[in-house]
Amino acid sequence: MKNLKLLAGILVFGSLWGFSECIIGSGLSEFGLPTGAIMTGFFAITFLVISRMTYRQPGMQLGMGLVAGALRLFNPFVGCHLCSALAIMAEGAIFEVIWYKISLDLTEIKPLTMQISMGIISAYFVYIGGYIITQIFTPIVSGSGFFIENLITFMPNILSSGLLSALIGAFVLPVILLTKKIDLRLKDRLYYPTTIGISVFCWLFVVGNWFLLS
Amino acid sequence: MRSPMNMGKEKIIPIIAMVVLIIGIISTIYVHASQIEKDTIKINGQDFTIDQLFSIGVTNEIETDEGEKEGIALDKLMVAVGVGCTDCHKYTIKAKDGYQQTLDWDILKTGILTDYGRVYFPDTAHTFWVRDVIEIEVK
Repeated sequence: MKNLKLLAGILVFGSLWGFSECIIGSGLSEFGLPTGAIMTGFFAITFLVISRMTYRQPGMQLGMGLVAGALRLFNPFVGCHLCSALAIMAEGAIFEVIWYKISLDLTEIKPLTMQISMGIISAYFVYIGGYIITQIFTPIVSGSGFFIENLITFMPNILSSGLLSALIGAFVLPVILLTKKIDLRLKDRLYYPTTIGISVFCWLFVVGNWFLLS
Repeated sequence: MRSPMNMGKEKIIPIIAMVVLIIGIISTIYVHASQIEKDTIKINGQDFTIDQLFSIGVTNEIETDEGEKEGIALDKLMVAVGVGCTDCHKYTIKAKDGYQQTLDWDILKTGILTDYGRVYFPDTAHTFWVRDVIEIEVK
């Protein structure tokens, strides 16, 4: 029963993350905003930390990345589906690594300095990690091969582009941790209908748009 | 009471965060300082303006997942600038911000270069759609 609950949690948070990447990310991109940094610093960190705080289950965020990445593959709005899907999947895994040594009740990050610092570290490494992974794997998957000099030459830009994400994370993480005082838990009878309902909505919306536009 | 390990984390995590910010700031300064501003595109060791390339190249239209794109066909362009044995080489397309991607002839020959200096390919990830191209190095 507990595993089923966790699975539904992975599905709903992964779907929300994927939905925001596909729908909100495309909107931001049309306005010429730095979509990647905003999506990671704000949306990814929000969903990853809330799920960590609520379920206290290591490995969950990896699963969320897989769900969100799978949903991203269906997105018709912003290009480079493969790159983005790989980036999202990697982001979930990188978050797991960063938070591996942080206790699940988050007592270690009670001081504000720690919260801001974890926001900076998480958002920065999740973002640049995802970016680097796509730069390595997309050429490989696409069949043209990976050339290390291409990555090295562009590395300063990648390190630089993570700064905005880090600054957003510094603000977002303490705000999310404030919601710890709000009881987000649903009553058992509402849990499955709500989580499944939200997940189905996210997938139908994104996949439906894909069919409409393709 | 805090455990010694927690006290260690309370010191190290803010230091890592500071280092991250410093890396981000220094990289940003470096990126802005090292931007290359030029009006020409170097192909196979020779500099061309976009107008020159359009005068020697053949215009082509390709269908991408972002709609139709028009520009000069890269396969004809490589021949026009004097690249011999086109499929014996790899091609590194470089942008003014340092971004670059290396392609085989099989991919390059399907692409176009637009009048605003961006390359497009019909069936590749957007990773290869290099913008603000300043050089196509033939290797």
